[in-house]
Amino acid sequence: MTFWEYVGSRHEQLLADTYQHAGAVFQCMVVATLIGVAIGVLTYRSEWAGNLAVTATATVLTVPSLALIGLLIPVTGLGVAPTVTALVLYGLLPVVRNAIVGLRGVDPSLVDAATGIGMSRVARLFRVELPLAWPPILTGIRVATQMLMGIAAIAAYASGPGLGNEIFRGISSLGSANALNQVLAGTLGIIVLALLFDAAYVLIGRLTIPRGIRA
Amino acid sequence: MTRHGDGRRPAGEHEVRGIAFSDPGEAVEPEPPEEPGPPAGEPAGPRRITWQRLVVLPAVVAAVLLATWLWFRGAELDSIAENSLAGGNVWLRLRQHISLTVVSTFFVLIIAIPLGVLLTRRRLRPAAPLVMALANIGQATPAIGLLALLVIWLGIGTRAALIGIVVYAVLPVLANTVAGLRAIDPTLVEAARGIGMSAAGVLRKVELPLAVPLILAGVRTALVLNVGTATLAYFGGGGGLGDLIASGITNQRMPVLVLGSVLTVALALLVDWLASLAEVLLRPRGLDPAGPGGARDGGA
Repeated sequence: MTFWEYVGSRHEQLLADTYQHAGAVFQCMVVATLIGVAIGVLTYRSEWAGNLAVTATATVLTVPSLALIGLLIPVTGLGVAPTVTALVLYGLLPVVRNAIVGLRGVDPSLVDAATGIGMSRVARLFRVELPLAWPPILTGIRVATQMLMGIAAIAAYASGPGLGNEIFRGISSLGSANALNQVLAGTLGIIVLALLFDAAYVLIGRLTIPRGIRA
Repeated sequence: MTRHGDGRRPAGEHEVRGIAFSDPGEAVEPEPPEEPGPPAGEPAGPRRITWQRLVVLPAVVAAVLLATWLWFRGAELDSIAENSLAGGNVWLRLRQHISLTVVSTFFVLIIAIPLGVLLTRRRLRPAAPLVMALANIGQATPAIGLLALLVIWLGIGTRAALIGIVVYAVLPVLANTVAGLRAIDPTLVEAARGIGMSAAGVLRKVELPLAVPLILAGVRTALVLNVGTATLAYFGGGGGLGDLIASGITNQRMPVLVLGSVLTVALALLVDWLASLAEVLLRPRGLDPAGPGGARDGGA
């Protein structure tokens, strides 16, 4: 069976896996972004807390994904729970780091000016600081999403959802006629998804980065 | 507003980038927000080795290992769990994992760094954006898929696993090297050429020493990445600690799973710690951000 025949005959399964893969990564990334930006906002003013947040999230990233999933399984069991937890944890680092860098990089004179025209602390944050810090945060989200695509594939070994299942099915049937097709379908599917997400982020950047600070 | 945004830019490195910015537009665009990242994490430490840096991480790792060992001694092992740990299997897997990591890192460095130097020479410079684009796609490739494809192609065994680990890490290290060599202030290179140094002399005496921190960062990236990818080597028949984790998952034996995971985490953290120490110790004196002049005076 050629690759295209394989894809043709299994397209329902493949589409379901692709949808689940994209869904898992997207939802975890939304959660990671919300938590990550919140951590950034809470810690960037303090040298100590900001660096602690960056170091802590960097340490998580050092941990190999299979090992983190392995440590989560005794706590959460197999399936969706360890996958989601691991994806959110790994997604945090680039977002937290870039949020802190971005927020610290905002020109203090702009914040002063905002205070001067009578903006409250909250208004300053949402109307001045966060919009100015948004480009690096968005880059963090892009980097994190690419990473999560690959980690989600590994999470399939712990019965997680997504295209990783195709790859592991191929590995467990090594030598059979369909092994290559399965691995190829899973791998190419993930690459395509990653590139689509990347394109979407470029578009989001165009739409959401304030005109004044566009490069 | 626009003026203000631009006005913020000329702070140190941005001047250098201003020049790079105009040539390869697209390829450089994703870097800026990433670049300031590491330095921002750094002010807390890397310049000097404080006792906290030396003690905290190894102490935590040792405590975790000790706790795991104590727990493990008390855990009940049935025959299946004992089987996967019998005959010094744990030590064997640990040794395999370390050697996979070290060997693959070695190959990553001898491939990526010379290639990075080549890609920043004038003749090959046009190829650099292509390689960067390739590196981007490479990052989108899942490590496990790449490994599985190599195993199907080359047959099961250490060789396929090793090649997979190397291929996966070469691109990020290469991208780092190219970005770093490019970020070297062109006026320094010009000055070196101006006092009559040859192209090879400039590379050896100016560019490479200036790029040392970056190359060390590449070593660290490669090591950390490879410890992680080496856990997947098991799926390609390459052994390593992934064996314990995978058999723990498939057989539903938590002691095996936890032991494998904890050992892997400990190894990854220790490797990163050692590499971070190396980054501080091997950095050329004059590059100390505290002030090049002062450091040089102290050195002389």
